[in-house]
Amino acid sequence: MKKILIIEDDKLISSLVQFRLKKDGYETHLVCDGNEGIHAIDTLDPDLIITDVMMPFRSGIEIIHHAKKSRPNTPIIVLSSLGEEEQVVLEAFNLGVADFIPKPFNPNELAIRVKRVLK
Amino acid sequence: MYSFLFYLILEIFGLIFLVLSFSVIVIYLVLMVLSALEMRDYLRKNRFADYGDIITSPIAPGVSILAPAYNEGQSIVQNAQSLLSLHYGKFEVILINDGSKDDTLEKLIHSFELQKTNYVYHPEIETKPVRGIYRSKNMSYRRLTVIDKENGGKADALNTGINIANLEILACIDVDCILSSESISRMVRPFMEETNQRVIAVGGVIGIANNCDVQDGTVTTYRVPETMLGKFQVIEYFRAFLMGRMAWSRINGLMLISGAFGFFRKDLVRTVGGYFPKTVGEDMELVVRMRRYLDEQKIPHKVAFVPDPLCWTEVPENEDVLARQRNRWMRGTIETLQLHQTVRFNPKYGVLGMLSYPFWSIFEKYAPILEASGILYTLILLMIGDFSAVYFFALLVMMYLLSLLVSSFSVLYEQIAFNHYKDKKDLRKLIWMIITEPFVVHPKIIYWGLMGHIDFIKGKGGWGSMIRTGFKKAEDKKNLAEQSRT
Amino acid sequence: MTKSFLWIVIGLFFPLAIQAQDALIPEDSLGFRDFLILQKEVTGLEYQFLIMGDNIPDSLLRDSVYTFSKTDLGLVSGQFEDFGKLDTLEAPLAQSNVAYQLQYLVFSEISSRATVREYLSTLIENGGHQIKVVEPQSKIDLVALASKSPYSPLQKFKLKFVSDYRLFGVTLTIAFFFLVASTMIAAMLVMKARKNQRENLEKEYESIVIDPLTSLLFEKELHEIEQMDQEEIYLFFPQQMLSKKLFKHVLIESIIGLNKKMKGEFKEKLKALYKKLELDKMSIRSLHHKKWDRVTMGLAQINEMDLVEAMPEVKKFTNSKNFYIRSMAVSTILNLSEKVDLKFLRDQTYPISLWQQMNYLRIIRFVSSQKNIKLEVLFDSENPSIRIFGIKLVRILGRVDLIENLAAFAGSVSDEEKMEILETYASFGAHMEAGFVNECMKSSNQALVLAATKVAMVIGDAESAEILVGLIHSESSFPRKLSLLKSLYGLDKERFDTETTDHPSSEISDIRSHILDPMLQHV
Repeated sequence: MKKILIIEDDKLISSLVQFRLKKDGYETHLVCDGNEGIHAIDTLDPDLIITDVMMPFRSGIEIIHHAKKSRPNTPIIVLSSLGEEEQVVLEAFNLGVADFIPKPFNPNELAIRVKRVLK
Repeated sequence: MYSFLFYLILEIFGLIFLVLSFSVIVIYLVLMVLSALEMRDYLRKNRFADYGDIITSPIAPGVSILAPAYNEGQSIVQNAQSLLSLHYGKFEVILINDGSKDDTLEKLIHSFELQKTNYVYHPEIETKPVRGIYRSKNMSYRRLTVIDKENGGKADALNTGINIANLEILACIDVDCILSSESISRMVRPFMEETNQRVIAVGGVIGIANNCDVQDGTVTTYRVPETMLGKFQVIEYFRAFLMGRMAWSRINGLMLISGAFGFFRKDLVRTVGGYFPKTVGEDMELVVRMRRYLDEQKIPHKVAFVPDPLCWTEVPENEDVLARQRNRWMRGTIETLQLHQTVRFNPKYGVLGMLSYPFWSIFEKYAPILEASGILYTLILLMIGDFSAVYFFALLVMMYLLSLLVSSFSVLYEQIAFNHYKDKKDLRKLIWMIITEPFVVHPKIIYWGLMGHIDFIKGKGGWGSMIRTGFKKAEDKKNLAEQSRT
Repeated sequence: MTKSFLWIVIGLFFPLAIQAQDALIPEDSLGFRDFLILQKEVTGLEYQFLIMGDNIPDSLLRDSVYTFSKTDLGLVSGQFEDFGKLDTLEAPLAQSNVAYQLQYLVFSEISSRATVREYLSTLIENGGHQIKVVEPQSKIDLVALASKSPYSPLQKFKLKFVSDYRLFGVTLTIAFFFLVASTMIAAMLVMKARKNQRENLEKEYESIVIDPLTSLLFEKELHEIEQMDQEEIYLFFPQQMLSKKLFKHVLIESIIGLNKKMKGEFKEKLKALYKKLELDKMSIRSLHHKKWDRVTMGLAQINEMDLVEAMPEVKKFTNSKNFYIRSMAVSTILNLSEKVDLKFLRDQTYPISLWQQMNYLRIIRFVSSQKNIKLEVLFDSENPSIRIFGIKLVRILGRVDLIENLAAFAGSVSDEEKMEILETYASFGAHMEAGFVNECMKSSNQALVLAATKVAMVIGDAESAEILVGLIHSESSFPRKLSLLKSLYGLDKERFDTETTDHPSSEISDIRSHILDPMLQHV
């Protein structure tokens, strides 16, 4: 079973995503701030990371930096309400994230993209 | 005969102190209520605001950021970069090198690929000569303009920037301030909300960055400073910004916008002739002059205040530096009040004349004198064994309790509105500071204020006589400049 | 002040005090005698006995105490100072049946009783003599004597009075302070406690809400939700929770929050749920709330959840006194109306701020991508800020088709609107309107002229160039001259060259190099 780490400060959204991904048979872990996110990357060794960009304590960019350093092979999907032309998002792409999903989003679409990235 | 006079004076002072302490208590309690109301309304209002929209909307006004720099070579490049990366659509950054003796200009030229332009500087507001105006060849720095000028002080540097600013709103900031990326959009909002009252200026809160973690232009972890003076200033800033300014903005009586972070309407600043470089209190003086001008023109207007935490600065924790700062603030206050004496108790100037001005005179300008003499008075009474000393001692205790009340309320506001200091230890440190501050720091503040008075009387700055007569009209500053030009 | 006032008061009462002392000395001879006996010795006051005739017993004559000597009037005794001995001295005389007289002497001179009395009172008044009074024997006497007691020094009286007003003031201040401070602290504490409690409950409810919502959203199709009974949906939520107001509030917030971040069929499902749970009724009810923020909140919910049935209610708020209510009401109407009719915006009486314009623009821009909006309605508004907003919308939405409408009234509107129209023409590159630009350049309003010259740079014609050159020649203000020359450069480079090349004035050549500097061209 593939492990997916979801880093997102909006509990409702993350639970929704978790629910949807569980249905597809993934093992999911939720954390809701940057500090926990970095800790979870190190301890959980996930197969995929889904992260927001704007969060308390540590920015998503920092998380991506960290993940790329300690687990260079783990793909990352960014989920954000910022537009694709925003500086931060461009930066995320430069760091080599696998996919970017802008909010508002459709959880079913997210599930499809997760499947594609994990293939 | 002599003893009769002595007792008479003692009596009169007794009465004055009694009335004063009573009014101090009443005024501070009123201020507390007003600020609480204003804070409540602001937080409610904020729920319906979508700041993301301002960044890209074609309706939003343009903002010229003016940042004077003097010997900032160490950090100037980083600071300029963070200014350029603010989140806003229409803005420019004007850095003014005020005759730095270090490599401030060279560093800027090197890092931003600057080139001297043929800009023809023909100032509307008179300033010290400009040596050159620089812009970048690199399109990604197209927002940046750097002015190199001869040293003339902060006000003069800002005036130079005002002369070449292109956009409607001026943001005057200290270059070493940390600005949140949202700061422009939040500060511009009051200007955009104006309907039938002209919003002429918007002030913001200054946070204390000492001992905090900073990242991407925002403070990420708040920690109370280690030193006593640092902790004291945290409380003092809460009191001044969250309580004082909030309350005054409720009744539209704001007289001061912090020079480190203030937004103004450019056309009006130019109309009144910009900053007055001959005073050390240029930030306060400009606001008073702008308000005066509009009152004289009978145009309804408002100075707004945004309590969101958007700007942080390192405050001096060194005693000498702080002493100089307080001395300067005191002189600035005295000078501004002197320059605009006409406003005092003049109903023509509304809240400014009837409330703000008298408040500043008594509670800011004369506060150190009154406090020192009040304590002296009680000591004399105690020495001559006058029975009424007991009452005055009781009054002093009361004042102490009031200061506790006011300080803890400001900390509580901060807790309710923003809740930055998350660590319980930090809160305990602040509470301990509140309790001890009146004994350990406050006397120093009084002393520095008194020194400010003495320096003012000695005429530091050389413009003593001009400042003592004051401006007859708000436009006098402009006429003054024109006279000296011809 | 108080002190001097005090002295005046004391001064007024002083004569009375003297009279009071005078009254202490009895007038009748017996009383006076008793009074003197009580005093024992008084400086400068003495007495002697005069015996008329000389038939006195020898025992008396020879008594060394009296030391009688012969005078013209009769026998005169020696002079005594101690009035205390008066009775013992007089007794033998009275017993021996001789005619005698008691005489008073003031400084050795025989004086009448009245003179002695006067002397005494002066003496007392000057403090030269301390009056002695009879020891009180009963309470009644005490009262009587108290009223006769001498006036005490002023000092004590003053201190008491002064410290009284201070005591009063200080007590009042302290009482006032404690009263207000304690109510404020109590209010704060109550507020904070309530807030904490509410926040904790909200957190708890938020976690409760998650499960039912996710299962409803993922396990039911839209049509299934629409067909479900209210009871069936209620079964998804913990029992009794839905009767709690705060829980419903949290539910509303959660659904709206999700709605903002979700796309596609999920949005529809959320809206259906919102109605099935009768949360829409709550939103509509809050429109009647007294607090403005609750009303605004209700409007925002109606806006987010597309509650079209509330439209008639919402319309009532478009001209509300409260800035936030009317902004939100207008946004809601713009968002929800089937066919976007801007007539209600035209009829707004309050000036609209830039903030409102920004919000309305966002919605109008979104709506106009789907349907055609009749912007021209706004041009007929009585409200100048609405007319200006209308012109701005033409520019921002790129409605080139409305240029003709603008041109139709451009000549007859206020200068402020003219400037807006000019800017719109410039952004469309509407060369056919150059005539209007030239007209504006001839205005007497400096601001309008300046705006027009800037536009002339883009859409000006040959005539514009002529007018510009004329303006440049007559202009004395430097910044305006710079701006005019910039426009000329943009409009007609050749003309600019002929006007500025090798110009004798250093000012003009400076401006020329400024304008030609490529670094200063994209500002």
